Amino acid sequence: MRNNSNTNKPVSSGRRVLLAAAGLLFLWPVIRFIGFKVPRKPRIVEVTGTFQNDQFIAKDDFLVFTDQSDTWAVSRTCTHLGCKLNFKEKEGYIECPCHQSKFSTHGEVLHGPAKKRLPRYPVEKTEGSDTYLITIP
Amino acid sequence: MTERNGIIGWIVLIKWGEWSLISLYISLISGIVVGIHYSPAEPFYSTSAIDILVPYGAFFRSLHFYSSQFFFFFAVIHYLVVFDASQSLFGRQFVYLILTLPCILVLLFTGYVLRGDATGYSAGMIAEHIVAAIPLLGAHLNNLLFAVSEHGMYRVYLHHVISFDLLFLYLAWDHIRRYRAQTSRHLLFIGAILLFSLFMAAPMDPDKLGVFYITGPWFFLGLQELLRYFPPFLAGIIVPAALVCALLFLRKGHRWYKPILIFICGWLGIYTLLTLVALYAHG
Repeated sequence: MRNNSNTNKPVSSGRRVLLAAAGLLFLWPVIRFIGFKVPRKPRIVEVTGTFQNDQFIAKDDFLVFTDQSDTWAVSRTCTHLGCKLNFKEKEGYIECPCHQSKFSTHGEVLHGPAKKRLPRYPVEKTEGSDTYLITIP
Repeated sequence: MTERNGIIGWIVLIKWGEWSLISLYISLISGIVVGIHYSPAEPFYSTSAIDILVPYGAFFRSLHFYSSQFFFFFAVIHYLVVFDASQSLFGRQFVYLILTLPCILVLLFTGYVLRGDATGYSAGMIAEHIVAAIPLLGAHLNNLLFAVSEHGMYRVYLHHVISFDLLFLYLAWDHIRRYRAQTSRHLLFIGAILLFSLFMAAPMDPDKLGVFYITGPWFFLGLQELLRYFPPFLAGIIVPAALVCALLFLRKGHRWYKPILIFICGWLGIYTLLTLVALYAHG
């Protein structure tokens, strides 16, 4: 008959602490793993069309602006609480319909409650056409 | 008897609780009907299709929308009318019934978001930011409840059709098990809701350029205004939670009964003012 006396021995408190610490050490990577958000794959959006009043093109996620020297895109999501922004053509600024935060066409905050500027997205013009490629990270 | 007493006497005579329950029945049944053609993958498209293409779709969406609003509205009046009687409820029963009120509001709110139109989508994004602003738990709670920017309407839909309904039933079960409403005794009331929904379209705000002021659902307006001045955690969590806590402790035997009552009246008064500001000051 096998002697099972070893298995019935009470676990010493030092060993218990060690086990708890090991458990916690293992828990940390598990929490980090579950909580991590895999960054979205960058999206490249093709925009074809003419600029309204030679100024802007509005898409669901961004606004594309142009002037004589440059073409650029800014996010349409307000940095305050995430509402979808609109461009006020006459006044020349972007405004949030929920709490009236104002942004310049380059995305800088002109008036709160928003505090952070709008993300700016790279724009590439394809040669020989009116098509723009906007990369959304 | 004065005229005021006469009106109050008339109000008390109405079976608000039964009206509320009948509205809930209509809301649940019409919700199932609307859900047949609703898709959380294409919220705005499917809601528009229900309104425009599906035979009687606009009527059923209106019926679901307004019966749900009536359900909440009559439930609140019911609570006010039976307030004295509610004092005899045990602690847990009372707490559960009070908690049904924010639960119904969340159900109304998620339904509003699910339309996926300009205001619905914005309301969803605002809710996401408010929940995410809760210290430590915010990101996980948002991931569980909303996550509109990551997963669209899937989670909101899930909780609207399952989780919050189960939570409501759990909270109210003991109450609705005992007090029932016979539909045959409320045919006139049911007819009135059906007629109302036939002539009043449920709101829908397509996303369009040139709209520089949008407002959330009526019960969200004061909060929308508060969010203009205060951080999301304070305006969106602490302020509404303060009202719910005050309602939980509004028991006649409580030694702070009067201060709590004054707080609730003040809270509701200020919220009404903020709602009016949101409606008329920025548009």
